[in-house]
Amino acid sequence: MKLTLYCGIGLLSATLLLMSNCQSQEEIKRQKYITEGMLVYQNTCANCHQPDGKGLEALYPPLVNSDYLAKKDSVIHLIRYGLQGPIQVNGKRYNRVMPPNPQLSDLEIAELMTFMYDRWGNDPALVDVAHVKEVLKKE
Amino acid sequence: MRVSFWLNLSLLNGILLGSWACQQGSDKLPFLGAKKPVQRTVNGKQVTDTIFHAIPAFSFVDQYGDTVTDKTVADKIYVADFFFTTCPTICPKMKTQMKRVYERFKGNEAVMILSHTIDPAHDSVAVLKEFAGNLGVTGKQWLFLTGPREKIYEIGQDSYMVTAAEDKSAPGGVVHSGAFILIDKDKHVRGIYDGTTEKGVNQLMSDMDKLLAEKKG
Repeated sequence: MKLTLYCGIGLLSATLLLMSNCQSQEEIKRQKYITEGMLVYQNTCANCHQPDGKGLEALYPPLVNSDYLAKKDSVIHLIRYGLQGPIQVNGKRYNRVMPPNPQLSDLEIAELMTFMYDRWGNDPALVDVAHVKEVLKKE
Repeated sequence: MRVSFWLNLSLLNGILLGSWACQQGSDKLPFLGAKKPVQRTVNGKQVTDTIFHAIPAFSFVDQYGDTVTDKTVADKIYVADFFFTTCPTICPKMKTQMKRVYERFKGNEAVMILSHTIDPAHDSVAVLKEFAGNLGVTGKQWLFLTGPREKIYEIGQDSYMVTAAEDKSAPGGVVHSGAFILIDKDKHVRGIYDGTTEKGVNQLMSDMDKLLAEKKG
């Protein structure tokens, strides 16, 4: 009886440990994406959108609390293929060319997206590479 | 127009190092560029004068379509730089930093800023006007200049001592530095700074204060 109890406790804690391990594996992956994404951001985006993501005057739109981030797939698309013509961000008009970034891999874009939405988009979900690949199929 | 961008840091570093070395032990900013000794006779005695490198006469057009010449900056100190509006690499950094200079010296009539486009084919008066407006720049203190391409490159290379020249090794490319150049009231180059960093521009602003306090002659 006592043995069964011990075994039961042992099994339970092992299961819990395994579960929390599973969770932290996911979380570790997400954190890794965020760290890599931050580097991609600093090297590729921060010049214009600024290190703090607040943009520059009416030249380069902010990413922080930007309503444009709601169009997640459009954001994935414009990172790779760039954007021309006027856009509205938080009710303000911006009209400067966003250059394409063909040098960024699907993974790097997924990492960048995960970082941006975690930090500035109030959206901590990991952006999956498979999804990025799917969106980027359409030019 | 596709212009690839090369930050010529080694040259800039050399000049920065040089100017730093000159500044040791003196509160006065150095005179940069080639110096020419000139002999002349005063009361029958031979004396040697030093002629410092100076910015020659120039004529460009600003974002309002007005002509800007060396007379525009007569009796003022000014900061010069080279950029183009469609550049996604170092120019936004430079403009972010130059905006700090603009805000700091706003309304000071002894201070001006001249930003020269190195892509005049694209950066017309109208394009520069929109760019300046979007950057939050108004008035005539910070002028965005365009003009004949070869004149801009020539003054950049020969007078402001920054690399702003076509690079044969990069087709259609441009060699260009992120330097801010500080010019005194007599058109002498008194400092060259890394305009892409906060640190470089802090130094520029403190040197501008020094230069403004300097007595003429």
